[in-house]
Amino acid sequence: MGKHENIKIKESTKVKDALDHARETAQELHGAISDAAAKSGGAVKADLEAISQKAKAAVESVKASVGAQQEATKKHLTEAVTYLEAAQKHAAEGLKSSGQVFQTSIRQTLADARASVQKISEAIAAKRSAQSKKPPK
Amino acid sequence: MRNYIAAVFDNSSEAYEALHKLWQLDHAEEITVHGAAVVHRDNLGQFQVDTKETHPALATAVGVGVGALLGALAGPAGAAIGAAGGAGIGAAAGGVTGLAVDAGRADTRHEAAAQTAFVLEDGQSAVIADVSEEWTQPIDTLMRGLGGVVYRRAKSDLEDDVWYEDGYYPYDYYLYPYEYIPSRYPPSSYYGW
Repeated sequence: MGKHENIKIKESTKVKDALDHARETAQELHGAISDAAAKSGGAVKADLEAISQKAKAAVESVKASVGAQQEATKKHLTEAVTYLEAAQKHAAEGLKSSGQVFQTSIRQTLADARASVQKISEAIAAKRSAQSKKPPK
Repeated sequence: MRNYIAAVFDNSSEAYEALHKLWQLDHAEEITVHGAAVVHRDNLGQFQVDTKETHPALATAVGVGVGALLGALAGPAGAAIGAAGGAGIGAAAGGVTGLAVDAGRADTRHEAAAQTAFVLEDGQSAVIADVSEEWTQPIDTLMRGLGGVVYRRAKSDLEDDVWYEDGYYPYDYYLYPYEYIPSRYPPSSYYGW
């Protein structure tokens, strides 16, 4: 392996910023819903209650990260908030339902959570892309 | 640039290591991973996708979605194969996911080289990912170092493929937006493609 073959992966000692935190929160939300949905016998209402709380925390986390960002990043984050609020709504609907409607709510919540993580990662990509084009100080 | 990549390895442990390193590249801010999954073809030619889904219908949906992505990585001809519910993948004698090279669409020799057919032979595993990357070297170098072969297609290029209509691109939904490795192997879902 030549010397150029070695990509040195930076140690994860960097300080996590609000955007990293928002992404982690949304990833955890998606993980929680997909774990619940994959349970044998399916998700139960207790799962959905916890998911609803996680969705609320994710909304707050993303909103807190929006302020200092540039426009392209803000746009993605605003869309992420929309999806997270939809996830909250679908989780709430699931809590009031049962049977097929309950399962549909789980699937919708999962789809919303997946879309929200997508939007946050797009925001992060936009931010990283802008930073990579900045001349070094 | 937003790309879909497939990195093919001779065994599953290398593929899992590659998945881990891919996310490390994300944490190091070299790339941004939007989603990733690991797929396998066993020695009998059975195609498998690592998924949490335990419900057979939903697990199959994941397999079909990822199968469509694998087909799309081979170009429009491959997309058509993947679109058929993944049925064409691995169905060929010899159990090889060998899909048509679409070099004719490539504008340059470099692109043609990058868009060679995605191939997953019996016993091989692959990491499939949706990434944003400013340059391709970090992923290429990392995967080569692990013994992998990288296939790549621009997301915008996939959007040009005729098969996808009405702006419906099912791939993103089936890739995990975080590092997911099943707690047990082999994964619970097998597809007899």
